[in-house]
Amino acid sequence: MAHPTPTQEFLLGIRDQLPLQLGVVPFGMVFGVLGIASGLSDWQTILMSSILFGGASQVVFAQLWMAGAAPWIVGTSVTVLNLRHVLYSVTIAKYLRPLSLGWRIILGYLLTDEAFAVSIKRFENTPPPENAHFHLLGSGLTLWSFWQISTIAGVLLGATLPARLNLDFAIPMTFIAIVAPMLRHSPHLLAALSSGLAAVFGQDLPWNIWIIAAALTGILVGAFAERWTRAT
Amino acid sequence: MIWIVMVSAGFATFLMRMSMFSGLIQRPLPPSVDRYLKYVPIAVLSSIIAASIFIEPETHAPTVMNSRVIAGAIAVFVALRTKSVIATIAAGLGCLWVFENLI
Repeated sequence: MAHPTPTQEFLLGIRDQLPLQLGVVPFGMVFGVLGIASGLSDWQTILMSSILFGGASQVVFAQLWMAGAAPWIVGTSVTVLNLRHVLYSVTIAKYLRPLSLGWRIILGYLLTDEAFAVSIKRFENTPPPENAHFHLLGSGLTLWSFWQISTIAGVLLGATLPARLNLDFAIPMTFIAIVAPMLRHSPHLLAALSSGLAAVFGQDLPWNIWIIAAALTGILVGAFAERWTRAT
Repeated sequence: MIWIVMVSAGFATFLMRMSMFSGLIQRPLPPSVDRYLKYVPIAVLSSIIAASIFIEPETHAPTVMNSRVIAGAIAVFVALRTKSVIATIAAGLGCLWVFENLI
């Protein structure tokens, strides 16, 4: 069968990313509200969604800044929180390395949790679709657009958005929607459980190191569990 | 000052995202690494899920006694049964809303 055209891949990326926006939009609005509540200006809040472009790290940035933390602590916390993107980068690198520099810059900028989770499945088809980078472009741009619009909506709505809606809970729910169907074999389940445990008990580690520590724990447990189940 | 911190942290995040296909690291990784990399999405996202559900937002203490745990469990069940992203998010948020506001 012929490979899908770039346009088809791009549209497929948009289509695969759209359902997740049910979780992304509430979280973007939560960030918009929080940014203003933390004492950031409208522009600082709105532009942070383009400059940092990472939900959890933007929340941490706003909260630490409001708490009066030293700038280097804010910068370090945000950077360590985003270290997990190196893992995404390693995973997707072999597919993106042949692309032009312009493509790699754009796709690097767009490589978020959701865009990665949706598009890596496309790249991992065998054989990898020739135009799969258009899939990542479509899913990445979809997420980017919804994130910007929902941030602006949050800034405009401000405190009229009631806290009892618990909209910040939308992001773990989108991640459950992504992860639960991936848990097909026991090594996958063990990777998820061990990473979750490490995250819960690593909360007190400095600079949000828990997230990368938990991720590495899950990866190692999964890979070793797989080797062990093969050997027996 | 806030702009300097924001732009530096944003640039650092961009560099981390692009790092492995930036061209700065020339040597491709050995194929044996793939065994580990296939657990990246599960491991990273599970850590964020667990921290959002089992950590009390105010006290930062681990807990299993809150409505988020039940809402999360229902979302996992819906995700496994329906494989629908929209149904999962709606079930999780809906249950939490019911628990926190009606019960």
